[in-house]
Amino acid sequence: MKQPSIRPGRTRRSIAALASLACTAGLLTSCSAFGDDSGPPTLNWYVNPDGVETLTKLAKQCSTDDYDIEIQLLPSGATDQRTQLARRLAAKDSSTDLMSLDPVFVAEFANAGWLEKLPDEAATTAVDEDVLTGAAETVKWDDAVYAFPQWANTQVLWYRKSLAEKAGLDMTKPVTWSQIIEAAEKAGGTVGVQANKYEAYVVWINALIQGAGGDIISDNEAGKDAKIDIDSDAGKKAAEVIKQLADSDAKQPDLSTSNEGTSLGAMFPAEGPGEFMTNWTFVYKNYEGVVGAPGGPADKAAFGDLGYARYPQTVAGEDSKPPIGGIDIGVGAYSEHPDFAMAAAECVTNTQAQVALAVESGLMPARGSAYEDPALTKAYPADLLKLFRESVDTGGPRPKSAYYATISAAIQSEWHSPFDVDPDSTPGDSADFLSDVLNGKALL
Amino acid sequence: MSTATVERPARGKGKVRASDRARAENSLGQKLVAPAIFVMLLVTAFPMLRAIYLSVFNYTLTAPDDREFVGLGNYITALTDPLFWRDTGVTVLYMLVTVSVELVIGFVFAMVMHRVIFARGVIRTSILIPYGIITVVSGFAWQFAFSYQNGFVNGWLPGISEQFNWFGETTPAVIAIMVSEIWKTTPFMSLLLLAGLAQVSEDMIEAAKVDGASWTQRLFKVILPNMQAAIMVAVLFRALDAYRIFDNIFVMTNGASGTESISFLTYRQTIEQFQLGMGSALSVLLFLSVLLIAWLIVKLFRVDLAAARQEG
Amino acid sequence: MLRRLGTAVGCLLILVWCLLPVAWIISLSFKTQESITVGNPGFLPSEGTNAGWQNYIDVWDNEQFRRAILNSVGIALIATVASVILGTLAAYAIARLEFRGKKFVLTTALAIAMFPVVSLVGPLFDMWRTLGLYDTWPGLIIPYMSFTLPLAIWTLTAFFREIPWELEQAAQVDGATSWQAFRKIIVPLAAPGVFTAAILTFFFAWNDFVFGISLTSTENARPIPAALSFFVGADPFNRPASLLAAGAVIATIPIIVIVLVFQRKIVAGLTSGAVKG
Repeated sequence: MKQPSIRPGRTRRSIAALASLACTAGLLTSCSAFGDDSGPPTLNWYVNPDGVETLTKLAKQCSTDDYDIEIQLLPSGATDQRTQLARRLAAKDSSTDLMSLDPVFVAEFANAGWLEKLPDEAATTAVDEDVLTGAAETVKWDDAVYAFPQWANTQVLWYRKSLAEKAGLDMTKPVTWSQIIEAAEKAGGTVGVQANKYEAYVVWINALIQGAGGDIISDNEAGKDAKIDIDSDAGKKAAEVIKQLADSDAKQPDLSTSNEGTSLGAMFPAEGPGEFMTNWTFVYKNYEGVVGAPGGPADKAAFGDLGYARYPQTVAGEDSKPPIGGIDIGVGAYSEHPDFAMAAAECVTNTQAQVALAVESGLMPARGSAYEDPALTKAYPADLLKLFRESVDTGGPRPKSAYYATISAAIQSEWHSPFDVDPDSTPGDSADFLSDVLNGKALL
Repeated sequence: MSTATVERPARGKGKVRASDRARAENSLGQKLVAPAIFVMLLVTAFPMLRAIYLSVFNYTLTAPDDREFVGLGNYITALTDPLFWRDTGVTVLYMLVTVSVELVIGFVFAMVMHRVIFARGVIRTSILIPYGIITVVSGFAWQFAFSYQNGFVNGWLPGISEQFNWFGETTPAVIAIMVSEIWKTTPFMSLLLLAGLAQVSEDMIEAAKVDGASWTQRLFKVILPNMQAAIMVAVLFRALDAYRIFDNIFVMTNGASGTESISFLTYRQTIEQFQLGMGSALSVLLFLSVLLIAWLIVKLFRVDLAAARQEG
Repeated sequence: MLRRLGTAVGCLLILVWCLLPVAWIISLSFKTQESITVGNPGFLPSEGTNAGWQNYIDVWDNEQFRRAILNSVGIALIATVASVILGTLAAYAIARLEFRGKKFVLTTALAIAMFPVVSLVGPLFDMWRTLGLYDTWPGLIIPYMSFTLPLAIWTLTAFFREIPWELEQAAQVDGATSWQAFRKIIVPLAAPGVFTAAILTFFFAWNDFVFGISLTSTENARPIPAALSFFVGADPFNRPASLLAAGAVIATIPIIVIVLVFQRKIVAGLTSGAVKG
């Protein structure tokens, strides 16, 4: 078996030599399994399908003489992405070098030993003070840093200015869920949310609970023995909002199967005044791109009718906790080239990369300085950028637990369908069920 | 399995003793079936034994070191869990409804195909298309057809609101899944019934007709009893197939709105939740329930297994 | 007269039943993605929402989709050939030879045809990881073989029973061994049956979903049904319905071609397979 000869790069020669040594010493086959023997090694980067075009460009830009980065596409749902990656990593797959991770799975993956811990220097830059708090928190686990925040997602309230006006709702002040549901009902509009039985429904529930000052669980590091807090006044308040929408005429017909895409069409419908919708940051670029097309605003003026405000409050007067999403880049623990992969991960998450993702694909930066980049300020209105940045900085993450997937699935199974949510029983039932599931006493 | 010693082929120079010949035949037969048996058992018997073994552990893929022996704990948890019984109930409902509807429609189709003289090729070709089409594709086609945003069903069905969301509640979602399942598998049923129909002698039907038997009498007294074997084999195969329903649920609702089948539950435990121990216990229970259904059908309806096994 | 009318109506019913959903998915594949996002109810693409061939071009441009087609064709063909070869050997023995364990073979085949596939994926997933077969072609080919063998054995046994075996005996009297008689005389006669078994096997492998999603994790081996269910378009938050439909139509073309060309053989195979006597 021929040793893969590596074209010497100027700066990373020693690392390359080390890596090639490790390569010959280790599993010979896997070194050449990807790419031919003569070229530099290939780093596989498993990406979720957001902004794939930009990611492809980044992969190319961040490839060096020492390695090539190649993109592998994951399925679209967060749950499916986790399943695919976890199955590879549980098999100690050496071809998983870089991965785009939904923030909620960093804890689980780190806990299972599937993520390479960031070396001190990289760890410091990955979460330096430029990184927005909401995003920085997602990559920390057990006093260490396990991934680089690449972009930060958050939800805001999107709405038609004309609809709010018609309903007489003052959007200059923070609004509550109850207010927008009533306003939409009054003006013949709708309220768009994500309430299918999937991860984004938990995003909504979690934001509602946190908005009322509560949590699904606390003492997260205890794993299976975490304290379950969902059966609380905050849980009840959250259930009340869901019930109010489910009982209201402002609900969309597909409430119990709604997702980020289904509610888009109701903003600029052929008939009717439009909607209030909580949704991620991509919405702005989405509507800008379909001006004049069916389902989009009729013209520039109609697009100007698209308003945005901070995520609605669960309880009047108490600050809302906008959901935090986005993507963190982790390095696989079984990678043959962890040093290369670390360097690559750092490169695809630097400020320029984040600006490119924001401008080209509408995926908002995790670094504060990126929001001031001229390319970005030109592409977005200043007040929208400020809103995004603020939301990420003050948002509420979903529970950071090694058992997050289980927690999320248990919540989904008790809170879906939204039509069956009962403020008096659902929070309590879901607390009992979650406890049973975590202790292996019930099927999920 | 084959434990044949080195074969001495009966090379035909002069006379060959009958016992040698029989032994050679025995040995050749075993050698010929050995590879098929090996492959069939490799992917079924061995994993099944492993599932039985794993089912007595609490074993999660994400924490392999925490594996602990729990005896029959997983089985007790599963069998006392309301979710298990709800999913079993839904699965039985899928099976009963789809198989009965298919039996009726499939029989009508078989009658038509049996009688049709013109355009025989066209009819048979088109009936094979649902049979050959990928179940996932069928699921998508029907999911979009039932979608209130992009489908045609709400527009075509009288008494259904244009805005009706079929996948929002259990009953309509289960119906939509059943429609896809029935559409896809009725051709299989009708072709099996066609084969049975071909074996009912025309003379007997004519004789009954001469005796003044009405159409219904001929159907229930002559045709159906005479194709009982075919019907029962078709029911057996389709029932067991329907009990394993998975693809359509995965595509159309992903198990939401209470449409989850027992196969889907098992899949989620092992593949999505990584609960290998509990998943294995469910696998064993699923396997046992399939055996039970097969046994019930065979006993209750006296299906001639020899016919199904091709010992004609 | 009434009877003929009934048959004609029945024919029409069958045609509508079988072809309507196919027509529907074809119609869907010609609608524009934008109109689907907004909601575009109705059967046919209406004015201004007709995308022409654009969806087909887009889906074909998608590398994952092309890989999935390649995987499916390769895996299904290999599984078919391998399964039919083993099935032929076994069916010959069952139809023709007396040997101990025949009943065992037939019972095993029957039992496996009824086996709940899902109950195997957990342990198989585990086994394949250990053996390095996870997410590879052989990792799917082997289970496909196991589950198509019963079908192949039944169909072939039914066909082999119809073959005039006197020819083989004549050959044996002339001094050929059982094996030679099998190879030289019977194989050519059995070819049509083998062919039918191959088609049915191919259908199974092409249709499989459970193994396809459980035993693969990348485009390395992911077959077309799994790829369709994971398919994502340019906008990850909107399921690309019309692209999916175009992909589904492409995935159905091989089936339609096979059905059109081999209709007789498939019907003969299905009707002789499970019901005899």
